[in-house]
Amino acid sequence: MRKLTQVAIAILLLLSLFPAVVQAEEGWSVEQAGNITSISVAEDGSRIAVGGYGAKAFVFDSAGKQQFAVDAKNVVTGVNLLNNGNLIVSSDDRHLYAYDSAGKLLWDTNMKRQVKDVSSSPDGSIISVIIQNSTELQYIDGATGEVKGTADISIGMKSVSVSGNGQWVAVGATDQYIHLLDSEGKVVRKMGLDSAVESVAVSDEGEVAAGTTAYAVELFDKEGKRDAKLAAKDIVTDVAFTRDGQFIGVSDFSGNFYVFSRAGKKLWETKVSGAGREVEFDKEGKTLYGGTEQGQVHKYDVGTVVEGAKKQARNQALLLSAIGVAVVLLILFGLYVMKKRNRLGIFKTIWRSKLIYLGLAPSFLLLFVFLYYPAFSGLFHSLYDWNPGGRTTFVGLDNFKRMFEDPYVAKGMGNLGLLIVTGLFKTLIPPLIVAELIFFLRSKKMQYWFRTAFTASMIIPGVAMLLIWQNLYDPNIGLFNQLLSGLGLGTFAHAWLGDPNTALWAIIFIGFPFIGILQLLVFYAGLLGIPDELIESAKMDGATLPRIIRSIHLPLLAGQFKFLIILALIGIVQDFNGILIVTGGGPMDSTYVPALQMYYAATKFDDLGYASALGVAMFFVILIITVINLKFLKTQD
Amino acid sequence: MNTGDVTKATVKDKGFPWQVVRQAIIIIILCLLAFITLVPILFMIVSSLKSNSQILGSFWSLPSPPQWGNYNEAFSSIWRYIMNTIAYAVAGSLIVIVLSSISGYIFAKKTFPGKEMLFLMMLAMMMIPGVLTLIPSFVLYENLGLTNTPWVIIIASAAGGQIFGTFLCRSSMSGIPNELFEAARMDGATERTVFIRMVLPLSLPILATLFIMHSVGVYNDYIWPLLTIRDSNIQVIAVGLTLFKKQFGVTDMGVQFAAYAISSIPLVLIFSFGMKYYIQGMTQGALKM
Repeated sequence: MRKLTQVAIAILLLLSLFPAVVQAEEGWSVEQAGNITSISVAEDGSRIAVGGYGAKAFVFDSAGKQQFAVDAKNVVTGVNLLNNGNLIVSSDDRHLYAYDSAGKLLWDTNMKRQVKDVSSSPDGSIISVIIQNSTELQYIDGATGEVKGTADISIGMKSVSVSGNGQWVAVGATDQYIHLLDSEGKVVRKMGLDSAVESVAVSDEGEVAAGTTAYAVELFDKEGKRDAKLAAKDIVTDVAFTRDGQFIGVSDFSGNFYVFSRAGKKLWETKVSGAGREVEFDKEGKTLYGGTEQGQVHKYDVGTVVEGAKKQARNQALLLSAIGVAVVLLILFGLYVMKKRNRLGIFKTIWRSKLIYLGLAPSFLLLFVFLYYPAFSGLFHSLYDWNPGGRTTFVGLDNFKRMFEDPYVAKGMGNLGLLIVTGLFKTLIPPLIVAELIFFLRSKKMQYWFRTAFTASMIIPGVAMLLIWQNLYDPNIGLFNQLLSGLGLGTFAHAWLGDPNTALWAIIFIGFPFIGILQLLVFYAGLLGIPDELIESAKMDGATLPRIIRSIHLPLLAGQFKFLIILALIGIVQDFNGILIVTGGGPMDSTYVPALQMYYAATKFDDLGYASALGVAMFFVILIITVINLKFLKTQD
Repeated sequence: MNTGDVTKATVKDKGFPWQVVRQAIIIIILCLLAFITLVPILFMIVSSLKSNSQILGSFWSLPSPPQWGNYNEAFSSIWRYIMNTIAYAVAGSLIVIVLSSISGYIFAKKTFPGKEMLFLMMLAMMMIPGVLTLIPSFVLYENLGLTNTPWVIIIASAAGGQIFGTFLCRSSMSGIPNELFEAARMDGATERTVFIRMVLPLSLPILATLFIMHSVGVYNDYIWPLLTIRDSNIQVIAVGLTLFKKQFGVTDMGVQFAAYAISSIPLVLIFSFGMKYYIQGMTQGALKM
């Protein structure tokens, strides 16, 4: 009984190593905002302005209570809150508006063309505006709304950002350049991007982040050198720096919001429904506001996120020491019990065996660190949205639920079923036939030669063999199609691996005539192990050869059959080597298997929690197979 | 072959050599199957000596003239991968041999508290399938900063291989009679001398088996290096071959096949010396499971 409690305590302690960090999230929906185009957070964090397709700009307090709304005559393209409480609004109705903190119109400037973006420093000293089809960035006087200067930059300007201290202005343009201007409006440098820019942000130090259509954010340091590239999962719609420039917020078209560290490490991400449109930090970088195309404003408390990594480490250290203390206490308690029962002699034996333990230490160190730890880590993290180095969120059984909804897994299960059925046939029948044939050869020498011939194919590395088979299936120069056309059956020639209907069968056919080396040797050794007397006495009774095979060979090979079946099942469930090399799961999804989906989830989609869950699911399938097989074995013997 | 003799006797009575016909049929069937099994290898060798136009133009004829240059070209592209892999395989196998022989000996011949439990812990790990640990292992090695270094291959293979090795060594070493050790200890031999002078020499066959099995395993490994190694200078041959294919595309079929042929040379060497040990390991492992 005590043992049970101890185990329970140990499990609880272990579980608490992975604190369930549920994301504190709030937000609100902005009626009539439509697709949110811009968000601005006041320097003191007390007010948030939001503009969208609904041709309105809204101002909220930090709790999400609307303070006022102002109308424009077309899509609001930009909003900016200044320190003095004024709100600057740009719109496709070709006007630029300024309102005071109560929502009263201060001025209204007709810019003659659609105003595409506006960005200003919090003190209002710089208000820069992009006008459609203009190569000039306009500077506006915050007091009167008049144009006080221009800077000729480039055609197709798309996004403008002014740093918090007003020292820098960054402009992203469709020519795939970021133009960095100083406070006087002089171009300091141009930075080339790999693809089209969607959004740009600049920090107080002059560091620039540019979100691109290539699912990435490119980061440039103070000297204009690109020093990091952040990967998003879709077209990046907006980027924002914290004031200190240490963290970058990113939104993408699939509704993902991310926080990255300046060094390029993903610290946190979350997903909402609808495309993410805008991100903005408050001044301290503690709160991240994200706007979506459906007019939702999400407010994330990311102060914990940015400190998350540090905190998590601290928590873990604390927990570890707690566990340490608990373990010491348990040991002391155990010792006390043992002393009472006068069983301390065991320690003398242990001490005498110290060299033995020392000898085993390296083996078990490797065993625990590199095998046990990953196995348990996989089991635990299958319940998490796992971002190593960043924030890992507890999601319960979501990963497993997702598995049932994943069409690739469904398709993969079907394929796996077929692979198992054919695989069992391949692993048992042809090797058994060949083993029997070799066994019935009279010449020992012949037996040896054929055995060697059938094992000879192991001199080719597995990958090379798969690549050769891939070549045999080639539609033009492959052996199969050449053979068919040589036999006058050219009409049957086929892109075997390129056709979803034949690809899986082509993969199954690899290795024809399926005389597996291990299987052959196991059967052959099994046949050799059958006592001669048995067969002789059977012959005395007039048994024919088929009868001998059926009544003596097969029953006595039952152990071999079971072993090979379990080995084949375990192997087939796990194997995706061949499919990865030969078809990569394609064409379309025709050759997917769950293990391949796991590999892709981890490597292509960076979805480690889901990959772990798939691994755990397969582990349980294999466990069940093993247990059933063991049970089966027991009843047989 | 008792079976044969008995049947031969009965056949003689009937006066017609049915047995000979039957043997001939078996031989023909086996020859046919062996030939089909080996077709990919023959195809590889023939194609490796052809140029592209020879493959496309005269698909069925033997290469004339043989393009030996294919081998030169292939060798210069993949020798580095082969060397890397051999180095990893040897290093990993040596670690496995050292660890397995020590643990195997201890589990076979020593008694100490917790022996059963520790051995069970090792056994249990053999039941854990690779799919469960693949991704978490990758993260672990990544966090330890071991990915993209040779260690990620060597340590990973050694950690997994030593379990099977310990298992194999234990069952082989428990067959060594205890009297031998007793006699040596009477003569004042220390534990270390016994292990190095007696246990190891007596276990050479099993250690050879282990070395060969483990080396072949490392040489054939594909997924783990693909996942963990990005630098092509330290890449292994299995991944190297697929890289190589991408690099040359359809443009140079002959060179590709030459590369496959070259990549099998280390295996040819190791099997021509140690086929016996390999087969032993395979069937022994199979029967002990």
